[in-house]
Amino acid sequence: MSEKILEVKDLVVEFKTDRGVVTAVSGVNFELHKGQSLGIVGESGSGKSVSALSIMGLIPSPPGKVASGEIIYRGKDLLKAPIEEMRTIRGNKIAMIFQEPMTSLNPVFTVGNQIEEVLALHQKELSKAQRLEKAIEMLKMVGIPSPEKRFNEYPHQLSGGMRQRVMIAMGLACKPDILIADEPTTALDVTIQAQILELMKKLQNELGMGIILITHDLGVVAETCDHVAVMYCGKIVEKSDVQTIFKRPQHPYTKGLIESIPSFDSTSGHAKGRLPTIEGMVPSLFDLPSGCSFQDRCSHVTDECRGRKGSPHLKPLAPDHEVSCFNPIGLT
Amino acid sequence: MGAVTIAEAGRIKEAEQKSKSLWRHAFESLMRDKYAVMSIGIICIYVIIAILTYTGVIASDWNLEVGPSYAIPSWDNIFGTDIFGHSVLSKTLKGAEVAISVGFVTTLISVVIGVFFGALAGYYGGKVDEIIVWFYTTFSSIPYIMLLVAITFILGKGLVAIYLALGLTSWVSLCRVIRGEVIRHKDREYVQAAYSIGGGHFRRLFKHILPNVMHLVIINASLTFQTAIKSEVILSYLGLGVQGRPSWGTMIDDAKLELARGVWWQLAAATFAMFLVVLAFNILGDALRDALDPKLKGK
Amino acid sequence: MNIWTYTIRRLLYVIPVLLGVCLIIFVLFNLVSPDPSLMMLGKHASAHQMAEIRHELGLDRSWFLQYWDIVKSAFTFDFGRSWSTKQEITQMIKNGAMPSLTVSVPAFAASTIIALIISLFVAFYRGGKFDKSIVIACVALMSIPALAYILFGQKILAYDWGLFEISGYEHGFPAFVPFVLLPCIIWVVLSIGPDVRFYRTVMLDEIYQDYVRTARAKGLTENVILFKHVLKNAMIPIITWVVIQIPFLILGALLLESFFGIPGLGGITLNAINSADFPVVRAMTVLSAVAYIVFSVITDVLYTIVDPRVRLK
Repeated sequence: MSEKILEVKDLVVEFKTDRGVVTAVSGVNFELHKGQSLGIVGESGSGKSVSALSIMGLIPSPPGKVASGEIIYRGKDLLKAPIEEMRTIRGNKIAMIFQEPMTSLNPVFTVGNQIEEVLALHQKELSKAQRLEKAIEMLKMVGIPSPEKRFNEYPHQLSGGMRQRVMIAMGLACKPDILIADEPTTALDVTIQAQILELMKKLQNELGMGIILITHDLGVVAETCDHVAVMYCGKIVEKSDVQTIFKRPQHPYTKGLIESIPSFDSTSGHAKGRLPTIEGMVPSLFDLPSGCSFQDRCSHVTDECRGRKGSPHLKPLAPDHEVSCFNPIGLT
Repeated sequence: MGAVTIAEAGRIKEAEQKSKSLWRHAFESLMRDKYAVMSIGIICIYVIIAILTYTGVIASDWNLEVGPSYAIPSWDNIFGTDIFGHSVLSKTLKGAEVAISVGFVTTLISVVIGVFFGALAGYYGGKVDEIIVWFYTTFSSIPYIMLLVAITFILGKGLVAIYLALGLTSWVSLCRVIRGEVIRHKDREYVQAAYSIGGGHFRRLFKHILPNVMHLVIINASLTFQTAIKSEVILSYLGLGVQGRPSWGTMIDDAKLELARGVWWQLAAATFAMFLVVLAFNILGDALRDALDPKLKGK
Repeated sequence: MNIWTYTIRRLLYVIPVLLGVCLIIFVLFNLVSPDPSLMMLGKHASAHQMAEIRHELGLDRSWFLQYWDIVKSAFTFDFGRSWSTKQEITQMIKNGAMPSLTVSVPAFAASTIIALIISLFVAFYRGGKFDKSIVIACVALMSIPALAYILFGQKILAYDWGLFEISGYEHGFPAFVPFVLLPCIIWVVLSIGPDVRFYRTVMLDEIYQDYVRTARAKGLTENVILFKHVLKNAMIPIITWVVIQIPFLILGALLLESFFGIPGLGGITLNAINSADFPVVRAMTVLSAVAYIVFSVITDVLYTIVDPRVRLK
């Protein structure tokens, strides 16, 4: 396995709301290796986006606050780094792209200008002409046709897929070590989704960066990621490489997610029957049950799951396979 | 359009429930804001005062000589007296009647006209819309004060003239807003679903679209109310104010002669009384906007 | 469509609006208002005298001609003569314009700049005590009627403390300065409340947009984000708001001019209202309406220039 470039340890993030303090992320651990992709999967409210924003130091505070934990990048704890240092890292060594390409780009500046901006900020040694050249090169790299023309266009003149490509170009302009992509394809058409994911994979091969891909779509993860972490109600419930997760999921939630992916494969058993779903709804973070948060929806629930005081911790069941469950499914 | 599907009926129900839960949610978050609650309290107090003075329970001596002319505020007359020896305190309390009624009636008129034309324009579109838009564009091109003056010239003096003048000049902004919202909602799925069940135009407009734009009416109403109260002062200054009854506007207007003689208490009392209630409406209006406007980004 | 096509289409729309405005003015001032001949001659005038006056004032002509007069005046700015002073109204306007502007222009500039600065600070230090206290201050300022400010200002600041001239006016710079200072200040106090509230709303709306999050993720400092990214977007609604206020500068503040004895257009209008001098009131109404219409066209066209989303379809 290649070297570890990012390690998140025991991350806890809280938010102050007018109904009290809610813990969006409670004790999350994961790591990213060079050249590899980690997929963080979960429903809305699972804490996946918040975890990613914490890496970049972008948690709005107030009302948010990183209560505890460490985020180690190149030997340094990012959570303790001064803001000026974070600013030299953002967009430069660690870049992030977001879900809504429509609103994530500034509508009153040209697309090329916005890419140029990140170069001007982090690569001050470049001349204006060099920046322009690089920006156009980035547009070409992300597959935008006639990049010289597109350079002077405004975001609203581009389609959703192209805007996301621009976001990627902006993110990768300084050749970062890590790209964090928060639901990059959720707002796009299915066919465009596939193109964007392919593009990201290709760029990863070319530039050798690590990718953290946040999504609620397991299908996306299966396509593009090497490792997967499944989150539920602010905690990671299962963590492994992508093959293991799909072939031998141990946490009932993971299993439920996998089974609910529609498929035409007759061997999966539900090409004919009804699509299995996970019963119930995600509990409100204000109202978590004691014991395991998943208990009310779990097909494997035991009294221990309900009775224990705290929620289960991540325990390794096998090398590179951790599960946080009082009653894992067991190897079949 | 054929039989309604369960999905469509479900969507209508959902939309109706959404508007109910919006009110519930808004009410709850409004109650949580202590300034909003205080403002509601202040407004209620003013309304109660207005009712009490109207029925003569309090401040019935506003017309009587209770002290020497222009007496300074003292324990006998907390706010002093005016030129006729009338208690300024009583006049201030009585003035709440005019203020509240002006605010209320003006808002009522402007809401009725604004919503009527706005909904019509937004819903029917086409020629109807063009005519209504042309109408309110021309209407709003005329400066507010001129319109006020002209209307009061025509209608003569008195409270009714003030009601009409203020009401007729304040419906345009609400009309614009309602029109925009109705246009937005017209094409929404739940309205089309209602159509497929066989709802007629009237039913669709009233039962489905209007409840979803009511929040804008409420927000706008709080603004209209306080603008009306402040405008009454200008009308008084122009000599078009209320006769025969004290109003804060006439009290402030009288002050222009009194100040030279060092008599400040009528101005202070009326200004303060107005300040409190207008402030309350401002705060309430802001709180209502925060609570009711679903487009507000998280803050 | 390009700018020119849009401008022309927009200007064409001005015509029905202008005709409509003149219609409303006609109805209000010529049709339903009280008969001026009665007002001018008193109750005991004979029918003959009344007819004479009506003829002199042109009130016996057909409705259409009277209406058409109003429409013409919107273009020629020939408004006839005042009923009370018998002056040519156009001349009165020329005389009154300058004094009005000496109050309104500096006040407008000052209040816009101050409000902008305050709202920038609010956007920078958002959410904290500073933000809250600014909102409270604005709301409190807006809850006091204009007349109260004027009376208070005149009495305390000018009369008692002698900081400013109480009223009156002298033409020529810098002679008018001590006379316009207080009315200017009061105007600024009156507009700061609504201005800051509006700018603040605009700024805060922008600051919470997604593109600001992207800008932060790129590593930009808060200063750059505010002054480059947010400001450029916020300027769009702010500019349109500012431009549309310009026509109101012409009328000046009626109340301010009246109380401070400034011989501007506002004062002229107020006198005309008090003396039921219809031609003057009508002329000022037409003038303001035309200015408003013209500036709304300018605003609309400006919007297409400034906002790239509207400009290029």
